[in-house]
Amino acid sequence: MPSPRLELRGVSKTYRNGGQPVEVLHDISLSADAGSVTALVGRSGCGKTTLLNLAGAMDFPTAGEVLIEGRATGSLSEAELTALRRTRVGFVFQFFQLLPTLTVLENVELPLLLARGPGGPRSHAAAALEQLGWVGLEDKAASLPYQLSGGQMQRVALARALVHRPDLLIADEPTGNLDTVSGDHVLALLRESAKRFGAAVLVATHSAEAAAIADVRVRLKDGRIVALERA
Amino acid sequence: MRLWRSLILRPLARDLPRTLLTVLAVALGVAVVVAIDLAGDAATGSFRSSMETLGGKTDLEITANGGVDERWIGVLAALPVNARVWPVIETQAALAGVGSVTLYGLDMLNAPGGRADSPAVDEAGAPSCAISEALARRIGLARGATLRLSLAGRAAEFRIAQVTAAGAAEFVALDIADAQQALGRYGKLDRIDVAVARNQDFAALEAAVRRTLPSSYLISKPGARSEENQRMLRAFRWNLRVLSYISLVVGAFLIYNTIAISVVRRRAEIGILRAVGAARATVLGLFLAEALLFGAAGAAFGVALGRILAGAIVHLIADTVNALYTTSRPAPVELTWAEAWTGLATGVAVALVSAFAPAREAMQVAPTEAMSRGSREHRARLSWKRGLWWSAGFAAAAWAASLAAPLDGYPVGGYAAALLAVAAAATVTPALVLAVNRATRALVRRRAETLLAARSLESSLSRTSVVVAALATAIAMMASVGIMVGSFRETVTLWLDVQLRADLYVRAAGPGGAGAYPPLPAELGAILEPGGRPLPGIAAVDFFHALELHYGGERATLGAGNLEVVRRFGRLRFLPGENREAILRSLKGRDRAIVSEPFANKHGVRSGARLTLPIGSQLVTLTVAGIYYEYSSSQGYVIVDNSTLLRYLPGQPATNAAVYLAPGADADALRREIQLRTAGLGVVVAPNSELRRAAIAVFDRTFAITWALEAVALVVAMLGAANSLLALVLDRRRELGLLRYLGASPRQIQGMILTEAGFLGLLAAILGLALGLALSVLLIFLVNRQSFGWTIQFHPPGAMMAAALAAVWSVTLAAALYPARVAARLNPAEVVHEE
Repeated sequence: MPSPRLELRGVSKTYRNGGQPVEVLHDISLSADAGSVTALVGRSGCGKTTLLNLAGAMDFPTAGEVLIEGRATGSLSEAELTALRRTRVGFVFQFFQLLPTLTVLENVELPLLLARGPGGPRSHAAAALEQLGWVGLEDKAASLPYQLSGGQMQRVALARALVHRPDLLIADEPTGNLDTVSGDHVLALLRESAKRFGAAVLVATHSAEAAAIADVRVRLKDGRIVALERA
Repeated sequence: MRLWRSLILRPLARDLPRTLLTVLAVALGVAVVVAIDLAGDAATGSFRSSMETLGGKTDLEITANGGVDERWIGVLAALPVNARVWPVIETQAALAGVGSVTLYGLDMLNAPGGRADSPAVDEAGAPSCAISEALARRIGLARGATLRLSLAGRAAEFRIAQVTAAGAAEFVALDIADAQQALGRYGKLDRIDVAVARNQDFAALEAAVRRTLPSSYLISKPGARSEENQRMLRAFRWNLRVLSYISLVVGAFLIYNTIAISVVRRRAEIGILRAVGAARATVLGLFLAEALLFGAAGAAFGVALGRILAGAIVHLIADTVNALYTTSRPAPVELTWAEAWTGLATGVAVALVSAFAPAREAMQVAPTEAMSRGSREHRARLSWKRGLWWSAGFAAAAWAASLAAPLDGYPVGGYAAALLAVAAAATVTPALVLAVNRATRALVRRRAETLLAARSLESSLSRTSVVVAALATAIAMMASVGIMVGSFRETVTLWLDVQLRADLYVRAAGPGGAGAYPPLPAELGAILEPGGRPLPGIAAVDFFHALELHYGGERATLGAGNLEVVRRFGRLRFLPGENREAILRSLKGRDRAIVSEPFANKHGVRSGARLTLPIGSQLVTLTVAGIYYEYSSSQGYVIVDNSTLLRYLPGQPATNAAVYLAPGADADALRREIQLRTAGLGVVVAPNSELRRAAIAVFDRTFAITWALEAVALVVAMLGAANSLLALVLDRRRELGLLRYLGASPRQIQGMILTEAGFLGLLAAILGLALGLALSVLLIFLVNRQSFGWTIQFHPPGAMMAAALAAVWSVTLAAALYPARVAARLNPAEVVHEE
């Protein structure tokens, strides 16, 4: 049986706030398999974003382990972590986080440029255009982000997150800033990305519709898992 | 006040590195302006004679070109007026451990304030002197000690008979006869001073004196010489002042940028303030108050720093004054309250003026626009097309200003043209940034760092443009002055080839300096030309006579030489179209002269004009036969043949001799022989090469202060660049954090910031070089010409410029190192999720 793409074992995270320790996550254990969609559900402040940052190796647990493809993130060097983000992890944010000074195409191909992947600018552009085509926005390649609607921007962000075929796709409130129609479209693409590209998708949401597409729903409250449902 | 504290003061305190950088930049700008003013005042000295201490109050001074005949003392003393007259010799002597010191020759027995009991000759029969208290303290000698001086190159000893309280003044006073003997000035005085009794009608006395004396004698009030000195130096001081203002201009860019960044960052807060009822004027006031804080803090620090800097540079300026204008000893550097307040006011005014435009923009922010969520970027309302039009307008105005004639000798048109050229460059910057960005679009796409850097520069065009403009201004100053100095140096070097044609030069020993004409010993003529024929090995000797000339309210030099020797051996260059041979042949025995280019430009003299000069006791009208190029004095020369001068000033001593050797003669051997024959006469025999080296060394020292000013302007610009890059990093931390999420390494983040700095530096170098070339043309062909009267040939030092630009670009990159480090160390998880 293949190992899970992502595994959290007894993960806790404590921050210091004005000298006082604040435990944001306590003893979290979960896993996400390739091709699955896992939804983290809970109210604001329950620790969803912190958990996503730990899962994406942007932060590190105070206790426990985070393993991506069986490798503990805490044991990786800075260079290895950078390589991990370039090749194995893709992020989608609530507020899209597109670079306003780059065109849509340039935004999508940015991870490939940063990774200095094989092939030159042309092959990066071709890959980015293909990804844009998958989200239905190849005709917007030359546009700037401010010329797009919210839903379009989030689809571009999704294309950017998938252009390098990551093993793990992390989405933080991907529909939080979208209308219903756009939100549904994005959710469909997230679901599709798990099936088509085999990514393990981890979605933080407090939207019932977003949770509905998930194979596994993990309910968080005050930094603890209070329920775990499999669809 | 509370609003200002929370909206302005607290963010400044949080952003301490940038706040301090801005304050430091303003401080440097103010410091340079204050330092140049204070050092200039001190270096040019008071020029006040210490005569009042020695001789009492003077009401009139009588001088003459070539010296005052001492027989006039008796004639004036016999006038039926209630006044005292006394003779004065005032010159410079060399004193070991001190250098130049003012030496007065007075009638010690009969001078007012003199003492009947202060003998000119002491009991032992040795000549005695009086020295000032300040000098006595400096050299550690007291009454009764022996003072050893060098006068006109010859050693002399005097017993100190008296130490006189005279404040900070340092001088030596001899009896007039001793002074005349030591200096070889028999029958001649530097001036006659007159003190008018209280009950004497001053106007009547002055009229009587004028009627009595030859019309060529100059009668002036005390202080006229000081005013003459100040006038002589004004062009030099004004040019230094203008150079010092450049740092302030660059600082102004920095303030503008800082306030503009502040406005952008606080747009949301401004919107909230307006929404809750704050008036537009309140918003304007808040940002002007921020600028006021920078200006006041920076200026206060700058005034103190300026005082320290003045102490460090006063000798640089004094050296130049002594080398090129007149002998003077620097006075102590003094910072008065008036000057301190002026420095403060300058810093505050510059800050407020610079901040006005962004502060005005802030007050026009609409509440709804500022508070709209999701709108993270404020698009700069910068129209590059409008900037192009403004640039064209400024350039046209600069060209028009360059055509203006000087105003009271000041090249005001030139200064205005330079400022307008800077404005033209500043306003074209946005268009330049965009154009270069678009031209390199395909190139920058190859790497993420270059792509992101290029787009960042374009997206923050208003800020980028200001940084580029500030850097370009500093670079332009460096380039223009470098080109001007390089061209000048090359011109002078070529001129020295022409001017210094003799193999050996003989002059009186002791410290030289502008305005000093120590005479050669009379025996020298017989030594170099025994029996009227030159020594074996010598082809010809040109004995040159130089003396101070007062003409048109300005000082110049009247010189006389053997112009037949000059014609045969020299290569004097005259203005285009003038026949050198014909001119030099036409001078001997006639009332004709050649004048130097600076003299001609200063006094509006053309070839063929007639000059009436007071020489000795006569007004002599000379016809100007030609105008020649000359670079050793901005005051200028009037040169006649020896036969002409000696007709009006018989017995006038020579001041230096140019020795031309016969072909094949051994220069070293002849030099040694002349030195042997002149041993003990107090002369120096220098080869041509030594004189050239000395001349170039004087030239290089003259411009040392200029290089120092440029360096400060560049430092201010670098501070501005570092400040702006840091601001860009802090404002884009979310974007930089995002890049880490997308797989950027810390090194790539650093590379992006450094690439941005590299682009900025490159753009600034291109613009700065272009502006610098334009400014150098203004400096060379307009400012210098109108200020000093010289023609400088255009010789841009290409290799030096390229090296300097490369150095500036490297320093720009260095300025980006700290911001790049800050960018690389941002915590992505924190910054991406900031609200």
